[in-house]
Amino acid sequence: MPALVVLLAMNVFPLVFNIYLSFTNADLSGGAARAIGTHNYAVVFSDARYADPITTTALFVLLSVSIELVLGYVLALALRAHIPGKSALLTVLLIPMMLCPVVLSLFWNLILNGHYGILNQLLGAFGLPQPQWLTDDRLEFVSILLVDVWMWTPFMMLVSLAGLNAIPRYIYEAAEIDRASRWMVFRTITLPMSAPLIGLAVLLRATDALKQFDLVLAITGTNDETTQTLSARIYQVVFRNYKVGLGSAYGVVILVAVIAVATIFVRYIDGLNRRQGKAQA
Amino acid sequence: MSGTKAAQGCGRVAAVCLALASALGCKSDPAHPGSSTTGSGTSAPSAATSLTIWWAQWAPADGLQQLGDEFGRRENVSVSVHQIPWSSFQDQVFQEFGKQRTSFDIVVGDSQWLGRGATNGLYVELTDWLATAVDLKSLHPLALRYLAEYPTGSGKYYAAPAETDAMGWAYRKDWFDDATEKSAFQAKYGKPLAVPETWSDLKTLAEFFTRPDQKRYGVALVTGRGYDDVVMGFEQVLYAFGGSWGDFKSMKVKGSLDSPGAVEGLEFFSGLVAQSPPGGSKLGYGEALEPFVNDSTAMLMNYFAFFPDLAKKMGDKVGFFAMPKHGERRVASLGGQGFSISTKAPPAQQELAKKFIAWFHQKATQEEWVKKPGGFTANAEILRSEAFRSASAYNPAFAQSMDVVQDFWNVPAYNELLAAAAQRIGEALDGKKAPKQALTVLAEEHEKILSQSVPQ
Repeated sequence: MPALVVLLAMNVFPLVFNIYLSFTNADLSGGAARAIGTHNYAVVFSDARYADPITTTALFVLLSVSIELVLGYVLALALRAHIPGKSALLTVLLIPMMLCPVVLSLFWNLILNGHYGILNQLLGAFGLPQPQWLTDDRLEFVSILLVDVWMWTPFMMLVSLAGLNAIPRYIYEAAEIDRASRWMVFRTITLPMSAPLIGLAVLLRATDALKQFDLVLAITGTNDETTQTLSARIYQVVFRNYKVGLGSAYGVVILVAVIAVATIFVRYIDGLNRRQGKAQA
Repeated sequence: MSGTKAAQGCGRVAAVCLALASALGCKSDPAHPGSSTTGSGTSAPSAATSLTIWWAQWAPADGLQQLGDEFGRRENVSVSVHQIPWSSFQDQVFQEFGKQRTSFDIVVGDSQWLGRGATNGLYVELTDWLATAVDLKSLHPLALRYLAEYPTGSGKYYAAPAETDAMGWAYRKDWFDDATEKSAFQAKYGKPLAVPETWSDLKTLAEFFTRPDQKRYGVALVTGRGYDDVVMGFEQVLYAFGGSWGDFKSMKVKGSLDSPGAVEGLEFFSGLVAQSPPGGSKLGYGEALEPFVNDSTAMLMNYFAFFPDLAKKMGDKVGFFAMPKHGERRVASLGGQGFSISTKAPPAQQELAKKFIAWFHQKATQEEWVKKPGGFTANAEILRSEAFRSASAYNPAFAQSMDVVQDFWNVPAYNELLAAAAQRIGEALDGKKAPKQALTVLAEEHEKILSQSVPQ
């Protein structure tokens, strides 16, 4: 029962209350909220400026998760081997993931500043061009992407490493006896057998990246349309335009999208597990 | 689970949900620990022993705290000026208004918040009281109009001016006084190197000082997109060149914001951005200071509230001047904030808040206020006085600027208007849209936002 109460208080109630608010004209600064039917949803789907955050968010999820997956998996493959100082190296690699994202974002804001940032000072010292990382339209999105990759690649690496270490040693020994090539071993053993955990990591990162807010807030601001993600848009609607009802409608739409993505991934992972179960049987 | 148990379980679940709902809807707040008043607001006004003021975190708020301490000693109450970082000031204030009782009695709010505070019943209407407690004729009429009145021109007041501010310019006096620079300028343009009187003069100076090979640039402009930066930066050019945000009474925008003068103004402003340091098309208020302080920019556009600190840091190297004019039109963007009393503060607190505001506007208090860093006054007599004008290098330009200030919309939907303006003006500065196209789209968006939200 206590667990149920916590679940209701922390998950179910906010969700139900959010859905309720999305059908009202609730205002951040109070006043009686009035039911206005599906008006908020009509605004959401007729708002031309809603399309840009959707594109930005989709691009961000696709690029960040893909890059982090590839880099994390490569690092995990490298760290699977017995190398001296492996534990220390692993700890150092995990640091970005373990620190507070907002604090790190603020540090990156200082590092990337075009006028006094240490990165441009270093580039200048070597006579290299000093790009405006935080204000140049072509670089703003890239800057946020790079910081996210720096911050979350260790997570992909960690989960990939767990997946790789879970593969039984005897399978590799059997492949060795059969004189399978390294590529064949990777393609038919390593990749498929670590895929379920990697799928889980991708699911977790994708749902997290869909909600991207802290980096945007600290690095370029929520009102910059070049990097405005869906969460940043909701922040603008709720906390700057004070429209809690409309913001809730945006939130419900995002929730549906996240559930759809999560369902696809869960089914994919289930499928992988079933295939592996059959193969092992 | 049996049917009875299931019913009991559902009942408990419902009880939890109800408790949470009531907690959300009926928050109590232990504000004003020093006050003997209750949340019901039935105590006698004399019971208030503390006053809480919320303002942004910056030097003028320190000055206000010092004045508050003085008021506290006189009235035997405690006055606390709670400072909130600018980045979250607005969010925190309006979230606080969502409570049944605010933690503050007075908020020193932006001029643009007036409409929202007035129409949503968040600010106490001060019309009758202000006329009796403060000599309205002593206040600069434009400060009163933009920092206190809603709707503009209605004669209804929901605030009293607190910090009065306007945009102006700081320039590198040492560069302007340099003999080599002077002779080079004279040789190139056939006129002396001097503080600009017109926008055209300013652009010439900006071009002259822009030397990327030496990492020197002409101007640092306020062009950030975070809040109202680029909107305030462009506003004074918009109006000087004959455009405007629209008619504040009829809410008509087309024909003003997309007029030929407005387009010419945006073209001019974009040209000026080209004379700014790298990244100059997105400099917030604080960021614009950096290239000026680090010796890479000749002239800086910003609010006067930042200038005392500049003068302190740079000494004789820096000078100040008011907004240039175009033809006969000289316009400066309004800054500053007004004191508004929360309707969600108990009556006793509201009375004490009124007493503080009345005291703040006494001439003797204002004479103290102008001595504080960034403490710019709305008192017209002080602004005109020789003592004020000679007190600092920036005061004469400030006094001149107050006569030509202009503000943005202060209707409840101001933030949507600001966001749209920042986006479209920004697109023109970034070269994504031609100025005419950007303003045409913006005028349509502003009319749409206004038609959907006003009147409330």
